[in-house]
Amino acid sequence: MNAARQDHGDVADASAAGDVAPPPGPARPAVGLQVRHFASRYAVLGVWALLIVVFTIAKPGVFMTRSSFESIFNGQYALVFMTMALLCTIIVGEFVDLSVPAVFGFAATILPVLVTNHHWPVWAAAVVAVLGALACGFVNGLLVVVAGVNTIVVTLGMGTLITGIALWMSNLNTIVLPPSGFAKIAILPVGGLYVSFFYGAAVALAFAYVLGCTPLGRHMRFTGASREVSRLSGVRVNRIRFGSFVAASAFSGVGAVVTVAAIGSYNATTSDSYLLPVFASVFLGTAVIQPGRFNPIGTWIGIYFLTTGITGLEQLGLQTWVSDVFYGGVLVIAVTIATLLRRRTT
Amino acid sequence: MVASVTVVGNDGTDVAPGRLEVAQLSKTFGPARVLRSVRLSVAPGELHGLVGQNGCGKSTLVKILTGVYTPDPGGSIAVDGRRLRMPVHPSEQREAGVSVVHQHLGLVDDRTVWENVRLGRYQARGPFRRIDRRAEQEAVAQVLARLGRRIRVTELAGTLSAEDRATIAIARAVQDHRPGGGLIVFDESTRALGQEARGRFFGLVRSLIADGASVLLISHRLEEIVEATDRVTVLRDGEVVEAGLDTRSVDEAALTRLMLGRHLVTHGRVDSHARDDLAASVRSLSVGQVTGLDLDVRRGEIVGLTGLMGSGFEEVAEAVGGARRAESGSLTVGDRRISLGSRRASTEEFVRARVGYVPERRLGEGLAAEMSVAENLTLPRVRSRGHRFRTGRAWQAEETAAMITKLDIKPPDPSAPAGTLSGGNQQKVVLAKWLAGQPELLMLREPTQAVDVGARHDIIDAIRAVARAGCGVLIASIDAADLAVLCDRVLVFRDGTVTGELAGNLGQDDIIHATFGISPPQKDLLS
Repeated sequence: MNAARQDHGDVADASAAGDVAPPPGPARPAVGLQVRHFASRYAVLGVWALLIVVFTIAKPGVFMTRSSFESIFNGQYALVFMTMALLCTIIVGEFVDLSVPAVFGFAATILPVLVTNHHWPVWAAAVVAVLGALACGFVNGLLVVVAGVNTIVVTLGMGTLITGIALWMSNLNTIVLPPSGFAKIAILPVGGLYVSFFYGAAVALAFAYVLGCTPLGRHMRFTGASREVSRLSGVRVNRIRFGSFVAASAFSGVGAVVTVAAIGSYNATTSDSYLLPVFASVFLGTAVIQPGRFNPIGTWIGIYFLTTGITGLEQLGLQTWVSDVFYGGVLVIAVTIATLLRRRTT
Repeated sequence: MVASVTVVGNDGTDVAPGRLEVAQLSKTFGPARVLRSVRLSVAPGELHGLVGQNGCGKSTLVKILTGVYTPDPGGSIAVDGRRLRMPVHPSEQREAGVSVVHQHLGLVDDRTVWENVRLGRYQARGPFRRIDRRAEQEAVAQVLARLGRRIRVTELAGTLSAEDRATIAIARAVQDHRPGGGLIVFDESTRALGQEARGRFFGLVRSLIADGASVLLISHRLEEIVEATDRVTVLRDGEVVEAGLDTRSVDEAALTRLMLGRHLVTHGRVDSHARDDLAASVRSLSVGQVTGLDLDVRRGEIVGLTGLMGSGFEEVAEAVGGARRAESGSLTVGDRRISLGSRRASTEEFVRARVGYVPERRLGEGLAAEMSVAENLTLPRVRSRGHRFRTGRAWQAEETAAMITKLDIKPPDPSAPAGTLSGGNQQKVVLAKWLAGQPELLMLREPTQAVDVGARHDIIDAIRAVARAGCGVLIASIDAADLAVLCDRVLVFRDGTVTGELAGNLGQDDIIHATFGISPPQKDLLS
């Protein structure tokens, strides 16, 4: 075809126009921007340092001790795994997976029940516990992604269902594991801390790497940001969403095995108590490192920030209710900060 | 058209209280000052245009008028001589008779026409404070009758045509207007309307002005501004470069020069780049009301798809781009054959076949607002060009930099969230996202929709360049000007079938005549 096309206009030299106004310049110096950017990324770390100073001054010889340090950093393995589980689904835009603590509790109940009540080998029971958690994630994914049922409804229902099953399996009792070397997978001392602390750190780092540096992570981020944009760009959106539910349950299952190994027992009635700390940590994480974004490193820091605050306040003589006040308050403040930060970037 | 225009001179001196008087209005967002001492004067009974490039501050000005943003201290807005408090409160805005029809119309798709029109004004009656549906529906029917449009008030807004949706938004804006007063701001409200509908739209605007209302028309269509408005104010980079310019004394070229601060030079004509071998072929496509469509696109060829809204060309574009599932049909690109009737959750196989799809809605379908320009731009190739365990930074930086330069994307910052860019630059990023992958077939929907003349220039250049490189291009659009400038041939759809194929030296009028099925000369759009 030799048809000619009408050309459109072309832009000539800008200087041809004599009345060119200068473009509007920045109203504030770039240094101010940089300071604000830095502050928004690291403000929580600053507050964390401030908390430590305040508690150290308020409780000299009590807060700044090895035992406080160990209680803050050695006991949060369950939270780390559960927050990573929640992040999996939140990052792909599935607000919010309420079944995370229940899946964790389900797996944490299966393990001691099989070992203690049914005399299974502990490793086989651990595998079954993880598989049980995976099955929950599979069903969640099936109902949410394939059937299109609302995430909150599915995960609330699933959480309640499997918590009930866990209570039935344990007969409402704390099931204690018989003594064995299995505990070492969680409490083996490494550099003054339990090895489980390093599991958590490694998981958070690996997750951050996947999100920041791999095609899978980029696709997860985009799926969370806009399903339609992702779908029209060739991203297998449903596979990503389904996979995130399964991955979340895997995190919960492995976390449950580590937790049971560390404490040697589990009581299914305690599962619900994890819900608030998990959400508070994940949302607090949006105010750290990557402002306005859910991110594993920020979440990991958030966990220890919250634990530091609660440990200090309890040492100051406040009762156990302080944890509810602290977690709840931080959740509201963190969500507010995250919303404001997000609004500034879009 | 003007009832009386006896206001302001271009030097900005006040002569008499206008319907709208904006003075010294500035707005700063963080480091960016997006409005600088803006002045604007709209006389009673005047149709006033407001033009400027994407990102020049037009939308910010409207958002200040509607109370969404608080301006910097020092500015003022007065309506009929009465100064409004800042930020403008919606009730005070309504009391002053100022209403806005926004770019995206602001309709709730799954609610009815009457619920959309009366939103925020429902009258509750009786001891249980129930909404009097019948009275509300009658009130809406009366407004629609005044606008001369027959729409069932119980219809869901989401099921209506673009023209009817625009009418509903206008009805919502004008329902409280008292004859002899009021100001209606149309912020790019005509963008979704076809040629015929735009003619009726301006008929409606004329009737509003005849009732004594004033209208502020914000539009990228400079021909509309020149032909329809009495005066025009030009914004550039947040500043007024020309206030209240009489449109009898300007033409589109002069306005363009004012908007850009540079000249726009018209070139001659360019030859087609179409080659003999096929880039893509569509076979037996059935989608919506279209059945059994066959379509070949040669390498380097630019083919337009057009028609009246709802004639079927939009569905064809969506099916070929992978955005929707067709009832049946296939697309062959190179040696890859894609079934268009398969149920799919992603367009992965289209991307593999190097089919690019630029959707109509750039935010929501084309770009994720919170992700960066670089992340959006490289998304379709992040798996194929990256390693399984590493996306790889070098190719992303290289690709993004090349596209930013090629399309003159501003700001030239790969890390800027896409949502912070102006509409024209967002459109460039959507296009760049696919151009960077060296597509075999590019399916574009309304590629220059609501972009300024500068961005349109860059986009048209880029489309030509990709065709020159051998890519087959399909453009689905109701914009005859775009199609005339770009296409080697244009397929015209009506009621699901191709009723005409135009080729050769295409003119806008030919395309419009074919679209409406009328013979030239056609009556003037705005007369």
